[in-house]
Amino acid sequence: MNDARPLRVAVADDALLLREGIAKVLEGGGIEVVASVGTGDELVEAVRGGGIDAAVLDIRMPPTHRDEGVRALETIRASGSTIGVLLLSMYATPEYALRVMQAGSGTGYLLKERVSEPETLVRAIETVASGGSVVDPEVVEQLVKRTRADDPISRLTERERSVLELMAQGYSNGGIAQTLFLGLKTVETHVRSILQKLDLEESPEHHRRVLAVLTLLGER
Amino acid sequence: MAPGRKGRIIRRTITIALAVALSLAMEISGFLATPADERPEVSYTTLHALVPLVFAACAGVAWHIGPARTPARLMIAFVVTWIPQSFYYVIGGWQWVWPVLRGVDLAWAVVAGILVLVYPKGRLSGRFDLWIAGIAIVSFVVNLLVVVLFAGPDVNPCGCAPNGYQLAEAPLLFAVTDIAYRIIGVGLALVIAGRLLVRWVRASVPARTVAFLMPVALFAWATTLAAQAVAYAVSPASATTAASAPDTVATDTAMVLGTFSLIAIASIPVSFDAGVSHARNMRARVADLMRITREGADRGLWAESLARTLRDASVRVFWWDETRGRYADAAGDPISDEDLGSRAGHSILPVASPLGAPIALIRHDRVLTDNMRLLDGVSSALRLSVDNGRLRSEIERTLEQVRQSRQRIVEAGVEARRRIERDLHDGAQQHLVSLGMQLRLSANAAKAIGDADLAADLERTIVTLNQALRELRELAHGIHPSLLSSGGLALAVPELAGRCPVPVEVEVQGEGRLPELIESTAYFVIAESLANVAKHSWATRAWVRAHVVDGDLVLEVRDNGVGGASIDAGTGMLGIGDRIDAVGGTLSVESPAGAGTTLTVRIPLGEAKWAAAEWGL
Repeated sequence: MNDARPLRVAVADDALLLREGIAKVLEGGGIEVVASVGTGDELVEAVRGGGIDAAVLDIRMPPTHRDEGVRALETIRASGSTIGVLLLSMYATPEYALRVMQAGSGTGYLLKERVSEPETLVRAIETVASGGSVVDPEVVEQLVKRTRADDPISRLTERERSVLELMAQGYSNGGIAQTLFLGLKTVETHVRSILQKLDLEESPEHHRRVLAVLTLLGER
Repeated sequence: MAPGRKGRIIRRTITIALAVALSLAMEISGFLATPADERPEVSYTTLHALVPLVFAACAGVAWHIGPARTPARLMIAFVVTWIPQSFYYVIGGWQWVWPVLRGVDLAWAVVAGILVLVYPKGRLSGRFDLWIAGIAIVSFVVNLLVVVLFAGPDVNPCGCAPNGYQLAEAPLLFAVTDIAYRIIGVGLALVIAGRLLVRWVRASVPARTVAFLMPVALFAWATTLAAQAVAYAVSPASATTAASAPDTVATDTAMVLGTFSLIAIASIPVSFDAGVSHARNMRARVADLMRITREGADRGLWAESLARTLRDASVRVFWWDETRGRYADAAGDPISDEDLGSRAGHSILPVASPLGAPIALIRHDRVLTDNMRLLDGVSSALRLSVDNGRLRSEIERTLEQVRQSRQRIVEAGVEARRRIERDLHDGAQQHLVSLGMQLRLSANAAKAIGDADLAADLERTIVTLNQALRELRELAHGIHPSLLSSGGLALAVPELAGRCPVPVEVEVQGEGRLPELIESTAYFVIAESLANVAKHSWATRAWVRAHVVDGDLVLEVRDNGVGGASIDAGTGMLGIGDRIDAVGGTLSVESPAGAGTTLTVRIPLGEAKWAAAEWGL
């Protein structure tokens, strides 16, 4: 990330306390919070105003408390904006994560309680702002735990499985190497082997890889 | 057939056979014992012998059509007491036998008279009838005593032995009693005939059509009886035989009278049976009316069958219209003043419920008023019909209320769970998340000022807090899956399947949404079914399908487990059934032992059919 200027972020959550808390955490991480609103519509307005690199928003907001966050994300993407969007949810639901990821690159889905892990939150915002993808490890864990007949995951080695989980969370090869203390070349080998075993095509684009892995995990 | 009934039939057959045998024996032996020159014509004798046979046959019929047993017994009594005059040639020599037989000589006439009196109910009803029967029996007994104690051997045509019981020679007493007995007999016969005629005139049209035979028969008999009595009184000697029993005929006139009399007597039991069986048919038709009532036929059909039952095509039924406060016929035309009785020859029968609420007016031919029992039956049928209808609609209304209230309760339950989940989400969970965040800030601050112990403590608290959050999340999800509210079955069912320890293949059709109650019912039905699969089936695979077919949401949960599940067994299945009932759906379970279980649920979308359009159907 280029540190020429701090990231400008908009925060949307109907709980004022949490909104302010998030702002504080982000500011502590060197991120500038330029807008703090209570609904999806207000966020869409703020994004339309320009000058925003990323948005952090709650999924459930007024008026229906259902999926306003996802709708806001879809509206933003439909308007052609490619800013990073990080959705926060009280639940780690794979089906939802998939829907969020399908909105396009620069999108993230995290459990709300990650706000107590400032590094995670800040890193996630930086990732989506730069066009990367973030999926909460809890979601991936749930997906991997799912029991399916003819499970292709069972063909993976222990190490490949760890790599796959990080791939699903949106880690780049570099990130995976760093997290697992492996060499980049080793990670690339693992990734190629995984993609081959799971019948997935090597995609040059990072986000499409995340989506493919998630879809595979969800559908298997 | 009950053994009792079989025994009764055998007993009755034997009784009839014995009576017939006795009658024929008397007739034939008498005929043979009569000197050739005194014998009546064979045709007359044959006719005379046929009369008891007709009575015996009618006794069999009367027993069969029942229910009273008296008529049949009277008919049998008639057969036995129908003693031909010629029989005295057989028994004339037995001085202890013939006087008794001579005494009961006219018993058949008493029996026939009583038979007419008990028509049609099979028993004497009313003081008048009892008096008539009493007079007949008393006269019979007095005559019997006089005959036994005072009759000389010359009272019979044959040369009889002297009367073994005779107390004294009293020809005058004997003659007076004999004639008085006959006159009383004729008088009673005429009274009975008159009474019958009155009844007949008053009877309803249908009852008259068949029962006219009875008074005609009686009148014919009474008339011949009277004619013979007159002849007897004028010249007892020459007419003795003709009057005492019409089997020996002195003149052509007496011969004609005698023949006519025999036919009239024979027609009594026949018309009795015919009248009773006709009344029975009438009752059967009322029973038909009851059946139609029970089957809940419409009002037009009911009025039609009523007309058929009463054999009165002019019958009209006007039903009470609660909302308009007036009577109207089945087509809805209100009753007019003309209908209400200004038309001659009609009567109005009001029918009301036991509580006095008006039900209907039946306009019928006035003559039917005499047949109150029939009309009673008809109004009972009508009352029953209306009561049935009222009960039915009341039950349907109550059931609908129960159904609606159950649906409201279930809806309230779903809504309550949704609210609890939302309260948890917006309240406790939110606060705990904020708390975790603040603890993090505090921990960072502690670290910044170098208080590592405090920072470590705070870190541990955060870990504990996150654990609590995780548990709370699971709890809230169990109360109401937020994914269902936001994503519908298409998202929630795969998520549900993902939690099942048995691999589940999911196929949820469409992207659109269904009404909340139906979605949540379907969700929890699938959840409980999958829990059953996981707990009981030993399955290695399961399949869940949800799709809309013909306006119904059809769910299918199938597994390849051990089978043997049933709706009755276990509360899990019961809970599923209850949920489905509440939304008016149906559940079927196919679970042959060893071949897996397939649970199929149909939930009607009802007014919510528009939603199916969103499912792209």
